[in-house]
Amino acid sequence: QAHKEEDNPQKTMEANGLTPVPDSYDYDLIVIGGGSGGLAAAKEAAKYEKKVMVLDFVTPTPQGSSWGLGGTCVNVGCIPKKLMHQAALLGQALQDSRKFGWQFTEEVKHNWMTMTESVQNYIGSLNWGYRVALRDTKVTYENAYGEFVGPNTIKATNKKGIEKLYTAERFIIATGERPRYLGIPGDKEYCISSDDLFSLPYCPGKTLVVGASYVALECAGFLAGLGLDVTVMVRSILLRGFDQDMANKIGEYMQEHGVSFIREFVPIKVEQVEEGTPGILKVTAKSTTGDQVIEGQYNTVLLAIGRDPCTRKIGLDKVGVNINEKTGKIPVNDEEQTNVPHIYAVGDILQGKLELTPVAIQAGRLLVQRLYAGTTTKCDYVNVPTTVFTPLEYGACGYSEETAVEKFGEENIEVYHSHFWPLEWTVPSRDNNKCYAKIICNIQDNERVIGFHVLGPNAGEVTQGFAAAIKCGLTKEQLDSTIGIHPVCAEV
Amino acid sequence: MGWEETQVRGYSEFVRTAQSYHGRPIFALFCGDKDAEGRSWCPDCVTAEPVVRKELHNLPDESVFIYCLVGDRAYWKDPNNEFRKNLKLTGVPTLLKYGTPQKLVEEECFKAELVRMLFTED
Repeated sequence: QAHKEEDNPQKTMEANGLTPVPDSYDYDLIVIGGGSGGLAAAKEAAKYEKKVMVLDFVTPTPQGSSWGLGGTCVNVGCIPKKLMHQAALLGQALQDSRKFGWQFTEEVKHNWMTMTESVQNYIGSLNWGYRVALRDTKVTYENAYGEFVGPNTIKATNKKGIEKLYTAERFIIATGERPRYLGIPGDKEYCISSDDLFSLPYCPGKTLVVGASYVALECAGFLAGLGLDVTVMVRSILLRGFDQDMANKIGEYMQEHGVSFIREFVPIKVEQVEEGTPGILKVTAKSTTGDQVIEGQYNTVLLAIGRDPCTRKIGLDKVGVNINEKTGKIPVNDEEQTNVPHIYAVGDILQGKLELTPVAIQAGRLLVQRLYAGTTTKCDYVNVPTTVFTPLEYGACGYSEETAVEKFGEENIEVYHSHFWPLEWTVPSRDNNKCYAKIICNIQDNERVIGFHVLGPNAGEVTQGFAAAIKCGLTKEQLDSTIGIHPVCAEV
Repeated sequence: MGWEETQVRGYSEFVRTAQSYHGRPIFALFCGDKDAEGRSWCPDCVTAEPVVRKELHNLPDESVFIYCLVGDRAYWKDPNNEFRKNLKLTGVPTLLKYGTPQKLVEEECFKAELVRMLFTED
């Protein structure tokens, strides 16, 4: 073990529990976690000429998967997900194209390896890009696991087990989350998670997706779109926390387009029938409403039942940072400050905040600006738009119908809604009654639009602009008086 | 054994040479052709070359450094030249680790720190 050896009176004081004098730290800021939030904060701090270090380390999955700098979004989240979703959409487009006059005699097949290699290559260029950006802005980056060992001291352990100590005046915890496992026999040995899926070196084949989160549905959606036999096993409802009217429409659409659903069952055992890449797995599941037990065989079992914050093994107890013991999330005030004044947190690990890349980036940047540039702007977590990239995409901003009813009372809200048929779907005879949009208005406040929901192609692109309008206080009247662009989905 | 350098000119020679070193880490610097006096038509390449050469001693053992002259200015400006099409190069100078997405382009090659990072880190 190599320790940073210095005759450092401050370190000696620290080791004895005394607070060292400021301005004698190794760094102004140490960021633990090189994901969306961490990197945004680090790069911002470097702009103000602060001495910054980023520690990023990926503990390999049970299957051995790992990845480079950039965090979940870049490596095993948003980026590969959207690219594979696009791959599936292109498959659909190829089918549609015949109706538009394109003639090809070959049958169209999908090659998993070709897609995965291209996606991973792009991700590799992003990893490299971040490393260049950090080095260029003089941010020190170490591929090492950071944990607190003292109020201002971090121990960083690299993959060879070499430990180093670093001190800083302030810290930002941005360690993110990792997929949860079921805790049943065979789960870690045989199942994969989203951490493994996007770099899987073989086609997953017939897949069982366990879970009803957006991760589960998005993955099930694109796997089915690529031509694979996909089943989704759901314990209770789809997309908990999202507007349930929309969630059910998403499920229905997926069901009508080749995804099987097994509802109200949970797996209790996963066994290997045959080894291989992929092999054959046998899943035993029990009903949540009775004693029924079922079995099924799949090439791959993908667990997408939730994500847990990486906050339990980073020494937070040593420095007195409170975490929610049950969930692992870190409660912060509206300035992202933990209960320990010089320790902050951003991103997915925050309690009560949205788990989205742009939220983490915005929070990280504004936090650093408040710390070093004297601004007072806080992150606005209200009316954050999101999109779920299921085969039929769902964009939303603001309240779900249920939450609006709960908060304002059913008699005080008005919901305007409409199905629509995208022009591009007419010629290839695609569904004419599936795309759907609704807005929820607060009658008592000038019919202000407090919820926006759209189910249809390019939902993300459609929703972004409306989010800005909602931030400006859009009312139904203003919406009505805005002339539509024709022929596009957004004009609905 | 330490590292070794080899110089090539043109796309086919580059590909042949890279293939012959398959299995070893390969780094390549792509520059514009040099005239009879040894000056390149590409001013950024003139700036970058000494910076890169100064860092070569950091190359890992067993690696190969391929110094590749891409061609004259007219060839390079053609948007369909083989380097652009097949190697996806967007500018000269480009310094890259062959077979990976790791590369430095144009002014990035002037920065010794970045060159060193490319040569020494995974």
